[in-house]
Amino acid sequence: MLYYLIVCRSLTYAQRTAAALERAGITARVLRSPKSISGEGCSHSVKISQRNLPDALRILQRLGLTPKRIYITAGNGSYQEVEL
Amino acid sequence: MIYLDSAATTMQKPASVARASAWAMEHLASPGRGGHRPAMAAAETAFACREEAAKLFHVSQPERVVFTFNATHGLNIAIGTLAKPGSRVVISGYEHNAVTRPLHGIPELELRVARGPLFDPQATLEAFRRELDRGADLAVCTHVSNVFGFILPVEEIAALCREKGVALIVDASQSAGCLPLDFEALGAAFVAMPGHKGLYGPQGTGLLLCGMDPKPLLAGGTGSESRLQTMPAFLPDRLEAGTHNMPGLAGLLEGLRFVRRRGVENIAAQESLLIRHLGEGMERIPGARVFLAQDPMAQSGVLSFQIEGWDCEALGDALGERGFALRAGLHCAPLAHESAGTLEQGTVRASLSVFNTHRETEKLLRTLRTLASGGGAPS
Repeated sequence: MLYYLIVCRSLTYAQRTAAALERAGITARVLRSPKSISGEGCSHSVKISQRNLPDALRILQRLGLTPKRIYITAGNGSYQEVEL
Repeated sequence: MIYLDSAATTMQKPASVARASAWAMEHLASPGRGGHRPAMAAAETAFACREEAAKLFHVSQPERVVFTFNATHGLNIAIGTLAKPGSRVVISGYEHNAVTRPLHGIPELELRVARGPLFDPQATLEAFRRELDRGADLAVCTHVSNVFGFILPVEEIAALCREKGVALIVDASQSAGCLPLDFEALGAAFVAMPGHKGLYGPQGTGLLLCGMDPKPLLAGGTGSESRLQTMPAFLPDRLEAGTHNMPGLAGLLEGLRFVRRRGVENIAAQESLLIRHLGEGMERIPGARVFLAQDPMAQSGVLSFQIEGWDCEALGDALGERGFALRAGLHCAPLAHESAGTLEQGTVRASLSVFNTHRETEKLLRTLRTLASGGGAPS
């Protein structure tokens, strides 16, 4: 299944992001960012399903929770950054 | 034992606090260190604790709630961020050593005390106005004196600081959980508080509410941006190097929930009623000198007193032998004692929590009457 990873600047920020999405009815899970996309090393991401990205972005923009970067799984285990 | 030393630590806690701490010892690992279940469960508890505190103190972003070891730790971060050599710093006359010692450690600092009589908030406000008018870089003010329970006009002092463009640090050690405190409305640079007093958490916990970007006191691992050799620029990671005290935070979360359920206004009203009862009862004891505000709004659930003919430590000991826990001496706040004229003698302090009862204060009054009338062994 394809999904998006919203990379956040901190664990707390990821938790805020996930909590905001969950409150809006979007299933969101905090997880450690895969090494290949973690930037400066050790970060956290919020995982959401592919169909929820537009709604999620609208909600996060409204709350001022700007994502650092967003990646989509490419199906083969690699990640591709999504242009916002 | 009748415990009346909650200004040091609330020893009686809601039962859920100890249960949560014990549970955390067995089930929670370290937040941000690993994606496994115990690490993520720890992260959830830590975040819930931040959110609960953010709601209680009106902090719009939970990441601005930083975990510290105690209020002293938070005050050291705040002072270390804002006070520099040569800074002009205004403090109240009721500050604790947790404020004055870090300030005294900064070379060439110009420290000015905004002095005002005990239980006179208007005079304290005017003293701050005078000192800020002379020019200042920083103001530090305790919300409540840990010795006398004097409630300082911190909202008005904050407004004055905003008007003059002076950064403000608030020491909420004695007010957090006991009096309403609105971080956003204050507009303070930092508010520091312990977790183990009015928030009913375990010792070794504290909170620093950050209104500005702080300078870290400790450097180390944060579970974020690990390739960089500088501390992360973002909160709370910037100030939270090293492993978190998860048993402490799990307990603090329960303490915060208890306070929010009970309602800070209700807690304040209950403690105020009880301290009035105690203070007025003491005033009727011959030889007692009681530091009780005329205006109940000027005093929290803390009360200092002396009994003629008794050394304060000897009186504290005598009460201890009779099953009471009160603190005597200078209470780590010589400046407050100096302001009230009690630096040489010290005082005995009774300080309440929501678990104290009318019956307990009655027992203390009976014992004090006996001791004051010579039914003990005065020094």
